[in-house]
Amino acid sequence: MDKRFEEKLFKVLMLASLAAVLGSLFMVIAVIIWNGAPALTFSMITQTPKGGYYMGKEGGILNAIVGSLYLAFGSMILALIISLPAALSLQKDYIGKTKAAYYIRLSLDVLWGTPSIVYGAFGFIVMLYLGMRASLLGGIIVLTFLQLPIMIRSMEEVIKMVPSELKEASYTLGATRFETTTGVVVRQALPGIVTAVLLAFGRGIGDAASILFTAGYTDSLPHSILDPVASLPLAVFFQLGTPFPEVQARAYASALILLLIVLALSITSRALSKRFMKNIIR
Amino acid sequence: MKNHISIRNVNAFYGEHQALKDITVGIPEKQITAIIGPSGCGKSTLLKCFNRLIDLTDGARVSGKIIVDGMDVLDGSIDVTEVRRRMGLLPQKPNPLPMSIYDNVAYGPRLHGTADKKKLDQTVEKYLKIAGLWEEVKDRLKSPANKLSIGQQQRLCLARGLAVEPEIILCDEPTSALDPVSSQHIEQQLLKLKNDYTIVIVTHNIHQAIRLADYVIHLYLGELVEHGTANEVFENPKEERTRAYINGTLVTDMKTDSEVNLKGNVCPFNFVYAKQALHTLEKGKILKLIVDDPTAVIEVPRGMEADGHEVLSVKQVNKTDWEIMIRKNE
Repeated sequence: MDKRFEEKLFKVLMLASLAAVLGSLFMVIAVIIWNGAPALTFSMITQTPKGGYYMGKEGGILNAIVGSLYLAFGSMILALIISLPAALSLQKDYIGKTKAAYYIRLSLDVLWGTPSIVYGAFGFIVMLYLGMRASLLGGIIVLTFLQLPIMIRSMEEVIKMVPSELKEASYTLGATRFETTTGVVVRQALPGIVTAVLLAFGRGIGDAASILFTAGYTDSLPHSILDPVASLPLAVFFQLGTPFPEVQARAYASALILLLIVLALSITSRALSKRFMKNIIR
Repeated sequence: MKNHISIRNVNAFYGEHQALKDITVGIPEKQITAIIGPSGCGKSTLLKCFNRLIDLTDGARVSGKIIVDGMDVLDGSIDVTEVRRRMGLLPQKPNPLPMSIYDNVAYGPRLHGTADKKKLDQTVEKYLKIAGLWEEVKDRLKSPANKLSIGQQQRLCLARGLAVEPEIILCDEPTSALDPVSSQHIEQQLLKLKNDYTIVIVTHNIHQAIRLADYVIHLYLGELVEHGTANEVFENPKEERTRAYINGTLVTDMKTDSEVNLKGNVCPFNFVYAKQALHTLEKGKILKLIVDDPTAVIEVPRGMEADGHEVLSVKQVNKTDWEIMIRKNE
């Protein structure tokens, strides 16, 4: 085949697949905005629902916004606290070269692919056994489990990329493994760690199935960590299921709010990443 | 001359491959010792044994003793961090840490317990000055170390290594990634530092060894070939292999006037071709022969010498090939 033709063909193919991806994403966003924007009023984000989430055409979805933020941030922080040490321990300086590490990675990969309803069902059974009601706490814990494999594996990937010369430099100055890990490895991997956290946050805030049984749903704001909470994905789910067009439009508006929250967080984390990038050794 | 590091019967293995074979040698105090030899001869491995950095290599094993100040570095029960603190390492490629210039130098002292800001400031200034970098960076100590030029980064690494107050400085081909000016800079700093530190430099640059070294250790394929003061080794090597290595390295830098590739030829043809090639050259010109026949490596130089030409060097360039440099006489 003619080399120049080959070159052209591949360029066209690459651009075509890019266009397919961007096109479908754009359509999703367009549909959400088209249907949701008219219903997005100020009261949507400042009031709790009036007349029930299924039938109600009045009030807002403040309960779901607050609930989702509690659930997502709570689980993100909890997952981060567990994931970072776990990912660091998978370095070759610690247990990374062992057979156990291989199986840990394998099971994390399997867990990553596990449907979230499985997490939800598992959490629900455990909560039943413990005699717990659907609550913010239950939701946070199940979402944490959902986020752990994502966080640990993506953090581990960036930690693995830290050049061994950097670690050696630290070791030759008389640093211990712990000092090298906290002082050099985490610093160098920080932008990647932020990305990993964001990835997991996105999964957490957007997931409906795992919190369906574990966090429940309610029209009111939670007053304690043991109260059930509403969430945006479930608000979309329930409102979309009604026969009333007005309520369905509110589902799109809820989706739009969810989208905006994720967008805001993405932008913030990018800005953060950029700050951390300054010292990185390339 | 007092030895600072005594190496006794050191063997090192990477899996099945033996990288160091029963090395016993002393490294004199407060002098520059150059470890020379071709690539893959175990120079860097020996250096890595000193500060136990070899522990980080998978499948590496070391036996024997390396005594520093009465302490056996290879003893499994000693505190490795303390050993490493006593030896600064200047790496082949500068490896600044992902932090500011200031924090790079302060990193070591902080690890070892200096928290006082004023004291840290003084330490940073002192060692940046010793490394010859202070004037260039004093106004931007807070800026990231990765913004420095590569030569500056290497001096920063020197300052960082010195800041933990080592007694020994290990240099692993410290100028191989640098431009000539930066290399010269580093060499000058090392010459100044030898009054206060024992310096060990691994280099495959003979010129650099001649410029810097007081004492020379020649390794070849994991074996200790020769060691002695720089004068002895460079002026009058006892071992033929050392002479060949030194001459060979120096001659490769010489201009060759003609080059003949005799790979795949056997004796006596390569002999004849070499003779013909020399015949066409003028007196005093240099011919480079490349041969891969083991007999030719010995016989061709001998034959050419018998013809009255001068054999400048015989050097193995890779697993199969040898380079023979001959100057035409008569």
